[in-house]
Amino acid sequence: VTIANDLLLFFDQENVSLLVLPDLSGKWKNKERVLVFSSRGINFRTRHLMQDLKTMMPHSKADTKMDRKDKLFVVNEVCEIKNCNKCIFFEAKKNMDLYMWVSNVPHGPSAKFLVQNVHTLAELKMTGNCLKGSRPLLSFDPKFDKEPHYALLKELFTQTFSTPQYHPKSQPFVDHVLTFTIADKRIWFRNYQIIEEDASLVEIGPRFVLNLIKIFQGSFGGPTLYENPHFQSPNMCRRLMRMEKAARQKERQMVKEIRLEKRKEVKEVLTEDVTDDVFVTPAEEKPKEVEHEAPRPSKSKKKKKLKLTELKKRTLLKRKGLR
Amino acid sequence: LPSLSLSFLIQLQEAFSKGLLKPGLNVPLEEPKKAVNNIEGLKMCLAEFKKNLPWVERLDLTNHPAVDVLAKIEGTLNKKQSSGEIDAEDDFQREMYFYRQAQATVLEALPKLKKLQIPTKRPDDYFAEMAKTDQHMQKVRKKLMQKQMAIEKSEKAKKLREQRKFGKKVQVEVLQKRQKAKKAMMTAVKKYQKGMTDKLDFLEGDQEGKKGSTASKSQMSKKGPNAKRKYKDQKFGFGGKKKGSKWNTKESFNDVSGFRAKTAHGKGGKKFNKGGKKNKRPGKETRRKMKARK
Repeated sequence: VTIANDLLLFFDQENVSLLVLPDLSGKWKNKERVLVFSSRGINFRTRHLMQDLKTMMPHSKADTKMDRKDKLFVVNEVCEIKNCNKCIFFEAKKNMDLYMWVSNVPHGPSAKFLVQNVHTLAELKMTGNCLKGSRPLLSFDPKFDKEPHYALLKELFTQTFSTPQYHPKSQPFVDHVLTFTIADKRIWFRNYQIIEEDASLVEIGPRFVLNLIKIFQGSFGGPTLYENPHFQSPNMCRRLMRMEKAARQKERQMVKEIRLEKRKEVKEVLTEDVTDDVFVTPAEEKPKEVEHEAPRPSKSKKKKKLKLTELKKRTLLKRKGLR
Repeated sequence: LPSLSLSFLIQLQEAFSKGLLKPGLNVPLEEPKKAVNNIEGLKMCLAEFKKNLPWVERLDLTNHPAVDVLAKIEGTLNKKQSSGEIDAEDDFQREMYFYRQAQATVLEALPKLKKLQIPTKRPDDYFAEMAKTDQHMQKVRKKLMQKQMAIEKSEKAKKLREQRKFGKKVQVEVLQKRQKAKKAMMTAVKKYQKGMTDKLDFLEGDQEGKKGSTASKSQMSKKGPNAKRKYKDQKFGFGGKKKGSKWNTKESFNDVSGFRAKTAHGKGGKKFNKGGKKNKRPGKETRRKMKARK
């Protein structure tokens, strides 16, 4: 077991047993429990992300994968069985798209997001580390206060992600901070470890980007309170790309065809001049002469030579000054 | 043709009777889909949903990112960023923005936590399970080390290359210098030998390391030039042989420089001895006698 803050490896032979000292100096009043689970068909990254979230949140519980045959409101029943009042549900579609539901289970609002750019705890570029189950600081962008739907989301995130004080599995120290920022109309999630009191930070992970789709009044259903106008489903995105490509190809094809057609066209005479054939005189018919002997070879070479000598003569005379 | 439902037909009839329809083909326009934004509903929901917990339970803060100290110093403060518009494509800027937001939160929250007596620093003897296993942290450390080593190696290689170039330059220069010095020395010596200068200044040039060679040089300068040199000078030097000049004059008779005592007394033995006794083979008679003796 090591101290994680500095890059020092310290292994104490005596204290091999894991000591999870719960902070029971106060009573655990804020009874928040989050159920983290997924549907079938998730890939390894999503699985690791789920695991990481469970590590980060000591007030979370896990459950088996839900069959896709069941409707979404079954999730509410599952949560009730597990005695949880919040839920984070991951849904994977087409092995490519990952959707995340965050919901306050019995009556409260729920939100559906499209998750992108997932990086898990296990990535070697994230060098920070924190206590398992320590309470996080939550940091929100001021944009969350400006719009009512963002304000609702802020409240939802706060209640879901903040570890209750004096939770039996929590550690009493505050050594990491979760940030939620709005950029490019999406919500960016980051997790940093606090190293020094002067706020020097190192990223722990995981990190992901949430693209809001809809906010519902009920849990996993109910009337829609907000719909994101900037959201474009991944299918639509892919379709647009394909259509673009197709359109380009079609254009090229069309241009080709037009060119071919132009060539084949009969070129019409634009203006017919009546006086064109005035001077046309057909040639006289000559008697056909059949040649029985081969023609003599032309004297082109000799001519050339003559020409050369002529040239030489001329230059000679010129030099002599007679020309 | 667009599909015309009964209700739509009725609508058209009504509009026609009212005189709203214009001539031409009337096509029903689809209204662009309006995204639901039930602000009232959202606010109501929020009011219901909100749990008014004390800050200790939530530990949340909303703040702008901390001022970018470096950018301020360099004078490249981005006005857009200060208003909150982040360019999501510029990875570095974006991550720095998030980082600074977290920093601002930490700076604000730590004093608050101190007041509430919630510890933020873990004591050194507190052993507990970490979010990432020790194995994993070792891997991370390894990777970082590898990266550093790679950088160091490349830097070393660069330096070596530079040095080699420089070293080669220096070497060439030193050799050239030596050659020059040698040449200068030889010319000076020759001049002295020929008798053009009688100053021995060139000797003092590099006296630091050449004290041994100066002795022999002074000896050489005493004897003067080589005998061969002398002869050649006599024959060809100073304008060549003078035709019909006298010889066996008083000076040439009195000149005893060509006298070698040992040769005169027949004692210059090395040159005429075939290198001394080199396993001299005895003659025929001696050999026969030796054989007979055996």
